[in-house]
Amino acid sequence: MKVSNDPDEVLVTYSLGSCIALAVYDPVVKVGGMIHYMLPDSNLDKQKAKERPFMFANTGIPVLFKSCFKLGAKKNRMIVRVAGGSQLMDQSEFFNIGKRNYAALRKLFWRNNVMIKGEDIGGNVNRTMSLNIKTGTVTLKISGRGEVVL
Amino acid sequence: MIDMQNILKKIDKLPPFPAVYRKAMQLLQKPDTSVDALIQVIQYDQAITANVLRMCNSAYYGLQRKIHSLRDGLVVLGNNQLMEIVSGCTVVDFYQKKGHGYGLERGDLWKSAISSALISQIICKLIGVAETPTIFTATLLHDLGKMVLNDFVWEENEKIVQLVEEGGYSFEEAEQNVLGMDHAEVGAMIAEQWSFPEDIIRAIRLHHSPEKAPEDDVITPIVYLSDIATIMLGIGVGSDGLSYRGKEKVMKRFGLKEKDLERVMVDFYEAYNNVQRILSMDE
Repeated sequence: MKVSNDPDEVLVTYSLGSCIALAVYDPVVKVGGMIHYMLPDSNLDKQKAKERPFMFANTGIPVLFKSCFKLGAKKNRMIVRVAGGSQLMDQSEFFNIGKRNYAALRKLFWRNNVMIKGEDIGGNVNRTMSLNIKTGTVTLKISGRGEVVL
Repeated sequence: MIDMQNILKKIDKLPPFPAVYRKAMQLLQKPDTSVDALIQVIQYDQAITANVLRMCNSAYYGLQRKIHSLRDGLVVLGNNQLMEIVSGCTVVDFYQKKGHGYGLERGDLWKSAISSALISQIICKLIGVAETPTIFTATLLHDLGKMVLNDFVWEENEKIVQLVEEGGYSFEEAEQNVLGMDHAEVGAMIAEQWSFPEDIIRAIRLHHSPEKAPEDDVITPIVYLSDIATIMLGIGVGSDGLSYRGKEKVMKRFGLKEKDLERVMVDFYEAYNNVQRILSMDE
């Protein structure tokens, strides 16, 4: 996880695969943050979740928001963008971590009344996400296919 | 169609990953470096491992049995020849290439090789199969073909990606369609050309179609799962993305559940951090 209020900074997280990147940004105070989590639920390994909360959606996402609030961001101004959660082809429940990663985020957002402004989820592609702290622009680089603004 | 036979003839030596090469050279320059210390560093490099296996299994040594791993190879070669192999490697290729056809940097392939090798060890523990050096080597080397195609496949890549996007092909099916063979087959052909052991050649060849391996072959399905988990983590993934087939039969064969794959990923994270510490790499 990274949070910043330095306008010269661009936060980047690479190669998401079935992981999910979440970028949040408050345009008024120009505070932004990003998390790249790997798995949906910390119940898998509570000890590990204590050491590395950002590995899991349910333990990592709340810390991301709180860290931005500490820098002056306000929840009602936060612009939220999400990418990743790719899947293998014709995957069964054995391989659907991407889907469950996204479901965990939706559940958390629904409970806490958070809206998603932009998202690029699922499919078979590999994504890299960056967040420009000066402008709040979120860019996705898709391996072998080019760049898009989310 | 690209002339694969001709390309394969040109594949002579593979360049190691610069971070491994630098670290190994540092160790080789110290007079008191032990072979164990050197192995600790180079065991994670698919190019050095491949070059060692190639040399040990060559007709020159005329061994009765095949060499399956770096450590076994070193018994045959001795320290001096190992040093020759490592110091004779070149990393020039890394910087001369303008880019790569499969959208992969060499570092990506290295990361993916070592990640899947580490994951294979975790999976072995989980399913109660002995962690053999052969499984480690086969997993480390399974994408040899990608290393090669990444450097030679350019305009064909677009056609491959198009088939994946529009035709519902998996990446290796699209490769077969466009190139006449997939990266698994290319890797197996190199491994054959270099006289690797049969079980390693088979695992490389069938790492996306483990159902074609004989029932008593445990290596190929482990290589498959290790590769799939690595791909799902987005490691070493280029224009192929996650366009591979998830085969639940392999999971069922080992009695694995969906949560087990998550468990593997958690454990992998620690193992990978340890390797990065050994090589003192950034990122």
